Amino acid sequence: MGRLFTIAEMTLRELVRRRGVLALLLLMPLAFYLIRRDGYVGQSIRSLMLGVAWAVSTAALFATGAARELEPRLRLAGYRPHHLYLGRMIGLWALGLVLSVPFLLLVLVDAPDFVRYGGVAAAMLCCVAVAAPFGMLIGAVLPRDLEGTLLLLTVVAVQMLIDPAGTGAKFTPFWASREIATWAVDRTGDGYLLRGGLHGLAVTLMLVLLVAGVFTIRLRRRRHIRYLPAH
Amino acid sequence: MNGAQWLDAFAAELGRRGVDPETARHVVAEAATHLRESGEHPTQVFGNPSGYASAVADSLGPPPPPPPGPARRPGPVRLHATGISKRYGRRTVLHSADLTVRAGQIAAIVGANGCGKSTFLRICAGLITPDSGQVQVVGSLGYCPQQGGTADFLLADEHFTLFGAGQGISRRQALTDGRSAVRVLGWDAPSDTLARHLSGGTRQKLNLALTTMTQPDVLLLDEPYQGFDRGTYINFWDQLWQLRDAGRAVVVVTHLLTQLDRVDVVLDLTPAATTRGGR
Amino acid sequence: METDRRSQWLRGVLDLCVLALLDEQESYGYQLAQALDMAGIGPIQGGTLYPVLLRLQRTGLIVADWRAGDAGPARKYYRLTETGRQALRHGGHDWQTFSTRVTTLIGKGDDR
Repeated sequence: MGRLFTIAEMTLRELVRRRGVLALLLLMPLAFYLIRRDGYVGQSIRSLMLGVAWAVSTAALFATGAARELEPRLRLAGYRPHHLYLGRMIGLWALGLVLSVPFLLLVLVDAPDFVRYGGVAAAMLCCVAVAAPFGMLIGAVLPRDLEGTLLLLTVVAVQMLIDPAGTGAKFTPFWASREIATWAVDRTGDGYLLRGGLHGLAVTLMLVLLVAGVFTIRLRRRRHIRYLPAH
Repeated sequence: MNGAQWLDAFAAELGRRGVDPETARHVVAEAATHLRESGEHPTQVFGNPSGYASAVADSLGPPPPPPPGPARRPGPVRLHATGISKRYGRRTVLHSADLTVRAGQIAAIVGANGCGKSTFLRICAGLITPDSGQVQVVGSLGYCPQQGGTADFLLADEHFTLFGAGQGISRRQALTDGRSAVRVLGWDAPSDTLARHLSGGTRQKLNLALTTMTQPDVLLLDEPYQGFDRGTYINFWDQLWQLRDAGRAVVVVTHLLTQLDRVDVVLDLTPAATTRGGR
Repeated sequence: METDRRSQWLRGVLDLCVLALLDEQESYGYQLAQALDMAGIGPIQGGTLYPVLLRLQRTGLIVADWRAGDAGPARKYYRLTETGRQALRHGGHDWQTFSTRVTTLIGKGDDR
């Protein structure tokens, strides 16, 4: 437990000190929201979600890339792989949740009264839940930040442009938050909420497992070494 | 600087040059007496402390080999690597290299650039899988990479707590251990500096301290002295000998051969040289 | 006299001069420096003199011991050993021969 939260704490400390990342986390969703604001309120809220998703994913990507060289050493220092990836994920989730608060307040204040605020909160929760392991997975698999950022950009663009009712849409990672946002704004039937919730849960779980797999393999105990206790 | 400061600096410089403490005290005392009698300024009489200390050290000749004393029997085997081979594509980097290091020994891995020294060490540390060969480690292991073992955006103290927590060490203990580990190397950075703002040599001190602070049984060091000034480099080797005397097994990758006569095992990875080291 | 050339000469003979002084009587560092100065060879700085003393000690030509000063601080006194006396005799003889030849050579140059 202690090791898990130490990693989470250090992840947060590192991110908070990176002014660029913080600016990104705050400005990007805001920009996304404002751009669509004069249009239909649903657009602006969905845009906001995408902005939060992209920002948190990028922060996760950078955090994972920065720690890559350190992780083998931490392994030797006594951390198990699950401390390292779960700890980082917890830190990123915490950051994402804290980040959501001002944007939720923004929606509370700015959006018309018919919007289901609970739904907006749920959608944002979904974004953060998926974004953290998603960014970590990309950061773990692609060697450099640049390639990872480009991939994220592609995913976000696809997410933005794809028709949510189309067949391929369910394969995009942030589809869930879009569905829940639709439930919140368009006051549709509860089917949207249910579908979105399940999708979000499933994608989060799947991404967490993938991250666990990649990290465990990369930080595995190699078979050519035998460790014996000192006598 | 005044007389007392000059004498202090002089004493320190003598220590750095390996003059044994007894002789150094005599030399410093004689200089102090001379200054008292002549009443002149030390820089006028002797020059700067460093230059004079060099002259004295030269006059004294090389330090005598350490007396045989209570024969230091090497302890149990701590690292046993056999038949390590590694190929990258068509390039054979390591061909059946062996290394055995016992507790209380220092092993140096030498060879030209690019001959696989770092790769061998990383294989021993368990970071890379070799194509063939086995490694046996008895006790705890510490590894210090040549570069990049520190987190840009964390403070030195945070590094200490981070690495300490891996072993379940309390925060306060980790801070104490880490700070003393880094002080041995001559740490002089303010405590609120991010790692990325430290000078190269200072950052390397932190890097090295993160390995030594947990006092592992086996230390694998990959040329960790990049950016060290001469004084720090000497402190570093002093610390290695202290670690050896304390019963640890130390493996250092180095391309600087000047300390080889005070090292127990040498593994030369230059191709076509013998690739067996230690027994 | 050019300081550069002079310090080169000194480097060759300073140890013999010190041995010669110690042959007369045992002495300590500061006193030796003053004696050299009075003999017209100085001023010899401590930074030059003490390394020479250390080297002579190391090669066994002189030995030293600390004595409490009567009025001042404790001093390290040096005296010649038998080996040192022999070295002084041989070295002195060699120097005589060498310097005579040099003087003759330069003298010829002067005459022209």
